[in-house]
Amino acid sequence: MASNAFAPLQEWLAQVQQVAADIAQPLSTTHPLVILPLNILGFWLALKIYRRVGSPILHPVVGGSLLVFAGLLLLGVDFAGYQRGSGLLYLLLGPAVVALAIPLKQNLTMVRRVGWPLMLGLAVGAILAPLVAVLIALLLNGSATVLIALTTKSVTTPVALALTEQMHGIQSLAAGVVAFTGIVGAVCGPGLLQLLGVFDDRITGFTLGVNAHAIGTVRALEISALCGAFSALAMGLCGALTALLLPLLVTP
Amino acid sequence: MPFLRALPRWLLGASLLLTFDLAGRLLVAALSLPIPGPVMGMLLLLLAMMLYGRVPSGLGLVGEQILRVLVLIFLPATVGIYYLRDLSRGDWFALIAAMVVGTLISIALTGLLLNYLIRRSGRGGGSADHGQ
Repeated sequence: MASNAFAPLQEWLAQVQQVAADIAQPLSTTHPLVILPLNILGFWLALKIYRRVGSPILHPVVGGSLLVFAGLLLLGVDFAGYQRGSGLLYLLLGPAVVALAIPLKQNLTMVRRVGWPLMLGLAVGAILAPLVAVLIALLLNGSATVLIALTTKSVTTPVALALTEQMHGIQSLAAGVVAFTGIVGAVCGPGLLQLLGVFDDRITGFTLGVNAHAIGTVRALEISALCGAFSALAMGLCGALTALLLPLLVTP
Repeated sequence: MPFLRALPRWLLGASLLLTFDLAGRLLVAALSLPIPGPVMGMLLLLLAMMLYGRVPSGLGLVGEQILRVLVLIFLPATVGIYYLRDLSRGDWFALIAAMVVGTLISIALTGLLLNYLIRRSGRGGGSADHGQ
C-alpha cells in the first residue's frame, strides 16, 4: 500500500479542483455564486432572528436550514445540485474540526483544577449518552440507519459528520439528530438538573457540554461564564473521546 | 491599514489549520487508524500547542472566526434532513423517542454522577475562575 500513502492528499486536491471547475461553469441556479450567497444569507438571517428571540428552539441550525430549504424550493434546485454548489463549505469542514483544538487548549488548565471527578464524569457521560439513545431505539425496533445516526447524537456537528462519513451513515440524518439533541438538552437540561438538586454551575455546564455540545454551550453561557467555560471544555473533550472510541465499537 | 498588517498572521493561521487537517488525514491513512483524519489533526494541533505553550496569535484569530461561522460551514449537511425519504414512520418514532427520552436520561445521570463525585472529592463549593 506504499503507493497509496498520499491518497488523502490526492482526494483533497481532487475536491479543490472540483470546486474550481464548478466556479468556472456558466451561471445557473446551482452555481456556487448563487448557492453560497444563499447559504450565507440563510445563516445571517437565522442568526439575527435567534439573537432577537433568544430561544434555543430557533437556534441558527434550525432557522438557517429552514431558510435555505425554502430558498432551494423557490429556485427549484434539488439536493444534489445544492451540495455541488456548496462544495467550498465542505472543504472547510476539516479545518473547522482542527480549530476545535484552540478552545480545548485555552480551557485545559481547568481540568487540572477539578481533576479526576470531571474526567470520570466525562468518560461515563460520553458513553452513556449514545448508549441510552441506542438502547431506546433498539427497544422500539429502529433500523440500523437510525442506530448509527444516534451514536453521534451528543458530539459537536463537525466531529459527528467526520465520524458518520467513516461509518458510512447518512450525514444529513446525523446532523439533524445532533441539532435536535442539542435543542432538547438546552431547553430541558438546566431545569432538569435543578429539579435533581444540582446547583453547581460547573456541573451544569459540564453536563450540558457532554450531552448537548455547542447548542448546550450557548445555553450554558447564558447561565454564567463559568458554566459556559465548563460546557465548552466538556464539548471538546467529549468530541475527541467519542472520535477515538466509537470507530473501535462500530465497524462499517 | 490594520487589516493588511494582520493579513500575514491570518494566512499563517489558516495554513496551520489546513496543514494539520491534511497531516491528520495522511497519518490516519498511513497507520490505517479507525479515527477520522480531521480529528487526528485536532489532536496533533492540541499536542503541538501544549508543547509550544500558547495559541499562536494568527491561529487564534482564524480559529475564532471559524468557530463563529461553524453553523454556516455545516449548513449543507443539515439541510439534507429535509430531503430524507428512505426512513419509515416507525424509524422516525424510534429516532425522536430516543433523542428526547435518551437525552433527558443521560443528562440526569451525568449530572447526578458529577455531583456525587465532586462532593466526595471535597471540591464542591470552591469557586474556580476560568482562565483565558
